[in-house]
Amino acid sequence: MTPPPAAAESIHAVGPPADSQINRDLLAPMEGVSLGYFLLLGTTLLAVTAAALTWIYQIYIGLGIAGYTHPVFWGVYIVTFVFWVGIAHAGTLISAILYLFRAKWRNAINRSAEAMTVMAVMTAGMFLGIHVGRIWKAYFILPYPNQRGLWVNFRSPLEWDTFAISTYATTSIVFLFIGLIPDLAIARDRTAGWRRLLYTGLALGWQGTARQWKAHSRSVLHLSGLATPLVLSVHSVVSWDFAMSIVPGWHATIFAPYFVAGAIFSGFAMVLTVMIPVRRIFGLEAYITDYHFENMARFILLTSWIVGYAYMTEYFVAWYSGVEAEQSAFWFRAFGPYWFSTWTMIVCNVVFPQLFWFKRLRTHVPTLFVVSTFVNIGMWFERYVIIITSLGREYDPAVWGVYTPTWAELTIFTGSFAFFAMLFLIFMKLLPVVAIYEVKELAIHERAHAAEGAH
Amino acid sequence: MPSLQGIFDAPGPVADATKRLRHRGFTDLEIYAPAAFPELDDALDEKPSRVRVFTLVGGLLGVVTGYAMTIWMSYDWPVMIGGKPFAAIPTYTVIGFELTILFGGLATLLGLLLVGRLPYGSFGRNDKGYDKRFSGEEFGLVVGCRERDVAEVDALLRAHHAKEVNLVEA
Repeated sequence: MTPPPAAAESIHAVGPPADSQINRDLLAPMEGVSLGYFLLLGTTLLAVTAAALTWIYQIYIGLGIAGYTHPVFWGVYIVTFVFWVGIAHAGTLISAILYLFRAKWRNAINRSAEAMTVMAVMTAGMFLGIHVGRIWKAYFILPYPNQRGLWVNFRSPLEWDTFAISTYATTSIVFLFIGLIPDLAIARDRTAGWRRLLYTGLALGWQGTARQWKAHSRSVLHLSGLATPLVLSVHSVVSWDFAMSIVPGWHATIFAPYFVAGAIFSGFAMVLTVMIPVRRIFGLEAYITDYHFENMARFILLTSWIVGYAYMTEYFVAWYSGVEAEQSAFWFRAFGPYWFSTWTMIVCNVVFPQLFWFKRLRTHVPTLFVVSTFVNIGMWFERYVIIITSLGREYDPAVWGVYTPTWAELTIFTGSFAFFAMLFLIFMKLLPVVAIYEVKELAIHERAHAAEGAH
Repeated sequence: MPSLQGIFDAPGPVADATKRLRHRGFTDLEIYAPAAFPELDDALDEKPSRVRVFTLVGGLLGVVTGYAMTIWMSYDWPVMIGGKPFAAIPTYTVIGFELTILFGGLATLLGLLLVGRLPYGSFGRNDKGYDKRFSGEEFGLVVGCRERDVAEVDALLRAHHAKEVNLVEA
């Protein structure tokens, strides 16, 4: 049992420094704020304020200031809602599905991706409120006991959506929080003042005992098992908001997998778009490596093909169905007044990602940034195409019409990006952007193996 | 009763030392680690974690609540639509599913808190065996023993590559 003293020394030789380098590196982004940070935060705050004032004005004046008019009553607000719900999906995919598949490369990016999930769901959720005409009656969607004895209609996909989105928001917050507990304890032990107070409270007295870690890893495992079907269900339910109706262009059985693939596609693109500057600014190259980015690029390439295949299937089914309304709806998409959105969607989502076939481009950070930004744009236009063009021309030619977004919608749309950015900027200063304990787990394993080799 | 705190650099020696101490009849043991390691998972307690019971019960409660709520509400104010049954089970599956996940997830959080004994003590400010290094990259094994066993435990911890052994409580 007792090894020779020489072996003991060899373990000491590879021991860590006084405080761990990983802690110092990964807690560093939380310290201090530069002028640039304040400028950025101020800009986002300005845009959010503009959007908030617009919303207040809209509540006062009515939805008329949005471009809603016959026959299109689902406009940019719903487009942007679907866009943000989609963005949320990458976080759960990275933290839950890749966890179940034991993909170790997820460790460096899962924290920020999970945080993005929570922020994106929050942003998306607001659009449901912005979209409804009478926000003060929004609680009607919940099944609560009331004097009239009425209950909500559980047959409606919009009701399913209420349950799906609120479950998703809650579960993502729980998942993020459970992952954060050990890192909050790290921060608690290394900060002073109000931060120490905050982290002490949030870390719940975490000490990292064997019993706590065992419960923790089981909880993460079980939550991953729950979150995996959840993430698939959420965007399926969102797609059924459309597919359950008989609007030409919406009434299709492929909608659920089509939307889920699109969500993962856009989500990975958003993670890349955000993480590339974050890594650069905070010098996290040692933790978030080109290998992580390359793997995300592979995912984007794969899901780009699934999305592209769905586009082709849509057109094929419209043609093969022999239903004139379907056929003309799809003709209208590509060659009608909204041709620009359709071709932007196809070029950004199917053509540009093909660059990722080449390893040199997958590992070239500027290319990754540009392509992922184009994917974000393309995926927003995908929802625009699906929602607006389908509503613009339903069965009766007498009620065909063209929709154009108004200044109010565009202000609130811009505000949603600013809101997301603002939340992320605050997150970066308050919580560790990389899951510290997971990085350590890998590092300590590697060191232990190196020490065994030295025996 | 004195407690000895051994500081280690790797999980393997901690697991070995724990096994040895348990074999020698020491029961007041606590392991501290900077991350989860499979070697340490079962070092003190071989039984599977009880968190799974929470997840299961939460999930079952969710699915029952989902279907029961929707079906009951449909009959509480029956609305005939297209001659179909009042309770449209296939569409209620979405609600049943979402509540399974919601309740399961919240129950898992509750399980973590109860099984992991969180929130703990004075929120980690003055716990006897804990050291800030354990949220760095070092491991701890804290052994409560009788006065006369101190020398033996000390020797045992050092023999398992403890780079430091401290008396944390006299």
